[in-house]
Amino acid sequence: MTDWLGLSAAPRTPRPELKGRVLARALAPRRRWRGPLAAAAMITLVMGGGGGAWWAYRTIGTLTTERDGLVARVHALEDTVSTFIHGPATRLIQIPVSTGGRVGSVTIFADSVRHRWLVRCDGLAPNARDQAYQLWFITDSGMTTAAVMPMDEDKPMVMALEMPRGGEGDPRVLGAAMSIEPRAGSASPSGPMVFHRLL
Amino acid sequence: MTSPKRLSQEHQRSLQRRLKAGDEHALGELFDLVAPWILGLAFRILQDEDEAEDVVGDVFVQVWRHIDQHDGGRGPLVPWILSIARNRSLDSLRRRRRWWRKSAHLEQAQVMEVGGSAPAGSHEAAVPGWPVHREVHAALAALSEEQRRVVVLSYFEGLSHREIAQRLHLPLGTVKTRLRMAHQTLTEGLRHLKDWVE
Repeated sequence: MTDWLGLSAAPRTPRPELKGRVLARALAPRRRWRGPLAAAAMITLVMGGGGGAWWAYRTIGTLTTERDGLVARVHALEDTVSTFIHGPATRLIQIPVSTGGRVGSVTIFADSVRHRWLVRCDGLAPNARDQAYQLWFITDSGMTTAAVMPMDEDKPMVMALEMPRGGEGDPRVLGAAMSIEPRAGSASPSGPMVFHRLL
Repeated sequence: MTSPKRLSQEHQRSLQRRLKAGDEHALGELFDLVAPWILGLAFRILQDEDEAEDVVGDVFVQVWRHIDQHDGGRGPLVPWILSIARNRSLDSLRRRRRWWRKSAHLEQAQVMEVGGSAPAGSHEAAVPGWPVHREVHAALAALSEEQRRVVVLSYFEGLSHREIAQRLHLPLGTVKTRLRMAHQTLTEGLRHLKDWVE
């Protein structure tokens, strides 16, 4: 219906000069800047594409290196964990702890042959900003520091430690302890004790 | 009254082919055939001679550059051109700053125009397509005043149903009903029109 409705309007005779003006406008060549503009756009596209490809190449190279490094670290960690878990001389000690009103645990895989510990902490409350957990070896000559473990996030922590061998002139490890110390650690326990356990 | 100029369907198809082929003379011929109607439609909507002439220029630029977009199988060329003219005119109308003052003139002009038979001088009657104009005009005039008013506001002012309802202080459903009935009446009355040529 509306196809024809426009013809309901009365026709108007165009002014004589209108035809020439309209035809000149319609038949005028397309604006000249379109060609150069298209060329500039193409150049930009090509340069942008080249830059993008180079950036992608560099990024992929960096990520590949980073991935290879992570893979190597994971394999090393798997070896370490496997050694602890499956080693015949490994003792497993699990110690329930309470920090910040929360119940957690510290699990120690102690390899007495290689004199190494694998310590895993679960459910420990995050430290205050100026504090850290500090793990101690209890030896026959007193407490010596094993590791300072700042915990800023509420997630498990795993670490491998070299323990004193207990040879000549080397203290013998009798147990482990953990306390809350200043962020940089202490020479000897001075803060609240998280656990104290003889093995 | 001068006898209206006729255009055979074959002539129109030939014109269309030449336009698609980029024949500049065909564009001149098309101007002679439809420019009066485009100008009339644009003036009816805009009520401004200069703006209406600008619309004519816009329409011919669009037709010349996009003639390939016209699908001859879906309808004749002239209604396609008229739809371009209407859309351009309504765009121009919406951009206009002094809408309400012009709108008042527009309504007054529309009441005068559709109220009686279209004034036709011998010069206008010579315009190609005049018989079709007479039929469309008569079909529009045959509508009831209520239906014609909503059709005019919808087609010539481009108002939405909701805007028409607000303008006429009518329920939206009433506007839709009137438009639907007007559409049925016009479709029935203009069904025989296949093209603006005989």
